[in-house]
Amino acid sequence: MSRLGAAAAAAAALAALGAPLLLGRGTLNDLWNLAFAVILASSWNILGGFAGQVSLGYSAFLGIGAYTTVLLSLRGLDPFATLVPGALLAAAFSVVVGLPGFRLRGPYFTIATIGVGEAVRVAASSVSFTGGSSGVRMPAGSFDFGRNYLAMVGLAIAAVAVAALVRRSAFGRALAAIRQDVDGAEALGVDSTRYKLAAHALSAALVALAGGLYAINFQYIAPGAVFDFRLSLSIVLMPIVGGIGTIVGPLLGALVVSTIQLKLLELPALRDSYLFIYGGLLIVVILFEPKGLVGLAGRLLAALRRASAPPRTAGAG
Amino acid sequence: MPAEPLLSVRGLAKRFGGLLAVAGVDFDVARGEVFGVIGPNGAGKTTLFGCLVGALRPTAGEVRFAGEAIVGRPCHAIARRGLVRTHQIVRPFRDMTVEENVAIGAHFGRGAHRGASAARAVRAVLERTGLAARAGALAGTLTIGELKRLEIARALATEPAALCLDEVMGGLNPGEIAGAVALIRAIREGGVTVLMIEHHVHAVAAVSDRIMVLNFGRKIAEGAPAAVLSDPAVVEAYLGSEAPVEAA
Repeated sequence: MSRLGAAAAAAAALAALGAPLLLGRGTLNDLWNLAFAVILASSWNILGGFAGQVSLGYSAFLGIGAYTTVLLSLRGLDPFATLVPGALLAAAFSVVVGLPGFRLRGPYFTIATIGVGEAVRVAASSVSFTGGSSGVRMPAGSFDFGRNYLAMVGLAIAAVAVAALVRRSAFGRALAAIRQDVDGAEALGVDSTRYKLAAHALSAALVALAGGLYAINFQYIAPGAVFDFRLSLSIVLMPIVGGIGTIVGPLLGALVVSTIQLKLLELPALRDSYLFIYGGLLIVVILFEPKGLVGLAGRLLAALRRASAPPRTAGAG
Repeated sequence: MPAEPLLSVRGLAKRFGGLLAVAGVDFDVARGEVFGVIGPNGAGKTTLFGCLVGALRPTAGEVRFAGEAIVGRPCHAIARRGLVRTHQIVRPFRDMTVEENVAIGAHFGRGAHRGASAARAVRAVLERTGLAARAGALAGTLTIGELKRLEIARALATEPAALCLDEVMGGLNPGEIAGAVALIRAIREGGVTVLMIEHHVHAVAAVSDRIMVLNFGRKIAEGAPAAVLSDPAVVEAYLGSEAPVEAA
């Protein structure tokens, strides 16, 4: 990211953290939702964007974080203290899934992750300690929007920072090499399975942290809400719409998709048309600008530069 | 044990369905040697390299590298031990610059460089392979000659003990071939053992200490270049027994 971009990001982060001093609860709720979406999109992008391993099973990690928080809070732990165990559990689960899963390549891996996500949902609905399909409620007195807002926004900032650091590191270069040519990467000494597992675990942990905060904020979770396939779908949609594999892309995608979710899908007429809207968005992006909004912005900038070039150059070109 | 070869291959075989691509090959390569591997198309040369570096799992046989049995070990682990190959069909990371491509080798190969030491290692390899001026170019924009050199540069950046070069001269013009020969000599002088598959027989003969000839997956000759190239079995493999020599 350029120095200007980093400065803008820092300013936006400070503004979001200071927003409770100025803004009303409705706007803060929207910002909370945006921060939630940013965490999901940026974290997914570490595995899906950087390493090119497209998973459609991320609701599993969100749900594991959410359930860990509720179940441990019910046993008397401070809700915020349950976030770390939730993240560790999700990371451990990501390794268990990844060990066989990463033996598969391309679409086969993606299909397997759909199965894993659904299996986790069914499992959570069938066993009794999760409250089955009717879900579980947080203990009374655990609700604190102000604290939750700061935690969610802080986590969003951290998730974006982690993604940016990963991208610049040797680890990030290994992921990029794996995405472009996994055999070529192996031939140069890159332990592709290990780095895929590490990316999976890191992003799973971040998503589980967000899942824990989600549970604290909504006070009630059920398999149909946190292990929902639609959730996995929108997690994938955000980075793709914004610009897969970039740092800014998942932010833009989170903004677009969470706006659609909050504003458009709230309308009764559109409530059941999410698949139509998501599917349409996906087709438009893949057909016309596979690099998403980031790619579109790049093209517009290039066109503007051409248009504002001195006429002599334009004539000669 | 100074006499122990760096690489020792016994009974190596690789079957693809009904095709025995490599049919039980034995050879040794000494430390510091340049070992040429030639043979007609389909002789099993690239398959042999694939089996050595762990990209393919041999059907049978034993490979010892630096005193250790390596068959069955993953490709990245063998690369990290110092046995690395280049690919006949170049496969750069196209969305990365030349420098970033080479950095993958420096980071994850035997040298395992990070930070400033990685940058130094990358710079040195780019200078050696004549790619310094193209360091910032995206790999997808290089010419074939540059891509061949990038393939070598990435492998060199892993700091291999033995480098398997698979047709690095294919598709190059005579001037570039002379450059490649000089580069291979320099690599050997840098202490790296070289195995090379090559179709340019004169170029292999010029740089190799010994040559092995494969035909239909079997070794049909091995030894000093001049002796091997005049071996009747080798001439027959290349030209066919019934083809009159004039027709070549």
